[in-house]
Amino acid sequence: MTENVVEFRKATKLYAGVPAIQDVDFELRRGEIHALVGENGAGKSTLTKAMAGVVTLTSGSMFVNGVEASPQTPLEARHLGIAMVFQENSLVPTMTVAQNLFLGQEKFYNRLRGIYIAAQQFLQSLNFDVTPTMTVGLLGAAKKQMVEIARAVLHQAQVIIFDEPTASLTPEEKNYFFDLVRSLKKRGVSIVFISHALEEALLLADRITVLRDGKHVVTDDAVKFDRARIVQAMVGRDLSNTLYGKRKTEVRGAGERVLTVQNLKMAPMVKNNSLSVFAGQITGVFGLVGAGRTETFKIVAGVLKRDFFHGGEILLRGKPVRYLVPAPAVRAGIAYVTEDRKVEGFFETMSVARNIYLGILAKFPRGRFFLSNRESQEAGDSWISRLKVRAIGTKAKVVELSGGNQQKVVIAKSLAQQPDLIIFDEPTRGVDVGAIVEIHELINRLADEGKAVVVISSYLPEILALSDRILVSRQGKVVEEFSALEATEEKIMYAAIH
Amino acid sequence: MGEIRVRAALEDFFDRFLGRGDAAITVPPFDGPLKPNQLLEHAEVVGEFAEPEDLAVVNGALYLADGSVLRRIEGSSSREVRRFDRPVTALAALPGGGLAVALGGTEIEVLAAAEGTGAGKAISGGGMTAVNALAAGPDGTLLATDGSADEPYLEWARDLLDRGRSGRLLSIDLATSEIKVRASGLQYAFGVAAVGHDALVSESWRHRLVTVAADGKVRPVFDQLPVYPSRIAPAADGGFWLTAFTARTQLFEFILRESGYRKRMMKEVPPEFWVVPRLRSGASFREPMQGAHLKTMGVVKPWAPPRSYGLVIRLAADFSPLFSFHSRVDGGNHGVVAAAELDGALYVLAKGPKRLLRLSISQAKEALAQ
Repeated sequence: MTENVVEFRKATKLYAGVPAIQDVDFELRRGEIHALVGENGAGKSTLTKAMAGVVTLTSGSMFVNGVEASPQTPLEARHLGIAMVFQENSLVPTMTVAQNLFLGQEKFYNRLRGIYIAAQQFLQSLNFDVTPTMTVGLLGAAKKQMVEIARAVLHQAQVIIFDEPTASLTPEEKNYFFDLVRSLKKRGVSIVFISHALEEALLLADRITVLRDGKHVVTDDAVKFDRARIVQAMVGRDLSNTLYGKRKTEVRGAGERVLTVQNLKMAPMVKNNSLSVFAGQITGVFGLVGAGRTETFKIVAGVLKRDFFHGGEILLRGKPVRYLVPAPAVRAGIAYVTEDRKVEGFFETMSVARNIYLGILAKFPRGRFFLSNRESQEAGDSWISRLKVRAIGTKAKVVELSGGNQQKVVIAKSLAQQPDLIIFDEPTRGVDVGAIVEIHELINRLADEGKAVVVISSYLPEILALSDRILVSRQGKVVEEFSALEATEEKIMYAAIH
Repeated sequence: MGEIRVRAALEDFFDRFLGRGDAAITVPPFDGPLKPNQLLEHAEVVGEFAEPEDLAVVNGALYLADGSVLRRIEGSSSREVRRFDRPVTALAALPGGGLAVALGGTEIEVLAAAEGTGAGKAISGGGMTAVNALAAGPDGTLLATDGSADEPYLEWARDLLDRGRSGRLLSIDLATSEIKVRASGLQYAFGVAAVGHDALVSESWRHRLVTVAADGKVRPVFDQLPVYPSRIAPAADGGFWLTAFTARTQLFEFILRESGYRKRMMKEVPPEFWVVPRLRSGASFREPMQGAHLKTMGVVKPWAPPRSYGLVIRLAADFSPLFSFHSRVDGGNHGVVAAAELDGALYVLAKGPKRLLRLSISQAKEALAQ
């Protein structure tokens, strides 16, 4: 038996003639945790998708247990013992947790009760607090992730690929996940772990491979890496100070009170929540999953509705407002940049320019009867250059862009509406470090221009690096406020948990 | 006309039913520059007095109105410098070292000097009922806020429960004693400062600051306050100190919408136990809001809905809030009605515990930055 369970030699994958990965050599040893890091567009997902049979290589070869293999479908890959847990989950939302777990393994006669019992026992063995009879569509992001992981473990794969597994997990859930990965390793399972959270890669991995622009840069033992070395290898330049390295030494003062949320209620997520947002500064909102942050600001932006009876009040520049749909909120100058860009952020098969143009159209009270291709093109050109979106052109479809560039399109779509209040919900989730720096610079620039900026984030270093004031949300309401100067990770986390 | 009334009545009914519009009964949060701290609670106590009411700085000396006595504060001690025949309800320093004193809320006495025995010039009339704040105005005038035309100064709680809107801003010519009404219909005017030819006025029952132009035009400049604002004092390096004698709660907002309940409460319940904001609280178990939502295991929660509160807000010259000093629900320095800045220190009058407090402004700002 060879030491390497999976091996790639000069693997190349072209999309419309453009290489996503090029001449990449990669080795995954038996029973190791291997972190794969790189900027968005570096080729991590393509490499792992080739491993999992989602895409096939254009050239080069893949070996599984020393035997050349070329899985054409995920099912073939699964038969080779390779399973993948996707970044955007691939569960069927209308089916229950148990049905999703056993999807593809159905027998001729399925006894639903038996499936539920088996699923319950299996989930308990993994220490996952998920009800097997729940419909997946009703689960939160973290629990969906758990089901995805459980499904991969259930298939008894010898290689499990995790694409950004911890992005939507709370710190406690992350610890569960890390324990699970370590226990899988003890059972001889090899893990490929894609993450933008470099600390996690350093903490969990045995070896780390860095990809850049579709090419292999370095593979080495994790102990030989530190954060700065990884970042430098990823982007080819030293970003350690510009990312989360430096703390704020001064904060912007509060300008005009743009938004006041008073005793807002939306059962069961938002409970008597009150907060203010001021112009000319960045208000960071931190909280664990389920703290009601996203829901509060979705109500502000008209995406969700507050409780019908005694649901509280939202004041925009001192005037009560209540938006039943997002369009009037957009016209009033509120932009909400969603945390779930794939579902709510853009139309993936439409071009970059059209997506941005849609943002502009949202400002018109009754839409526009005639659409202007020229206007759309100009908006696309302008925002692509302003936000440095790396796309072949304005006609490129959004689905063809990397995560970071897709996020920039979502932001451009919102900024094209010329808002006064911009709400960024997890602005750098699933975004590479290079794009994170650019997005952070943009957010800071907006605050410097006098806009009221809200950043909702579950990532503490991001909150500390960006915010002028930090609101901590717990169980549906803001429970604590810190100035960025006084805040520490410990203080914020304490407020978020206790 | 009838159609409009019916429509308004229907809207009111549905608003009440659904809890929206005026019936939303919500309270703005204490956050941003109004983020709570305990700096006022931990401030140095200069002294305790019998009936402290207002402060004024005249020629570098601090004076305090204590019932019908005017005291000069010297370090941690004080001495009586004047005595009047009625309680003092407001003080203001005048250019040239003079002092204006409101007596019983119905008369103003203008003194050439803060100390001495000489009688001042009495100005009365103009329907003055509850004069509660004075400030030197432009061109030899004196600005005065008359809180209510219906209730005397000490009966401010009754005016609040009656939804009083008879407050006025008066402009008094000190040379001729002529009284002009600059603005009327204010919902309890309680604090005034001159801003050029305009006047900055705090309107307590509407929880806002307004400027009143020379022609009487009223413009809100800082509204949606989570407190009931009181007097305004100029800050040494521009801007103002705004005091607030108590905070808003959803319970008070609710009671203020329930006319029938209010009337019955005022008729049947002793005034000290009315559900109404107070300058001090916690003295009796019969007070409203003394249940479990105020205390846990015998400890008063600082974030509980306050019946009384202490707050001073530092305003910039454009009236935007910069920072604030608080005495929260678990504290005692509540009912802040006056502040005065002198030699880098802020003197604050907490009428609830009848204390004069002193904070070093630079130290307080350092504490806020930590």
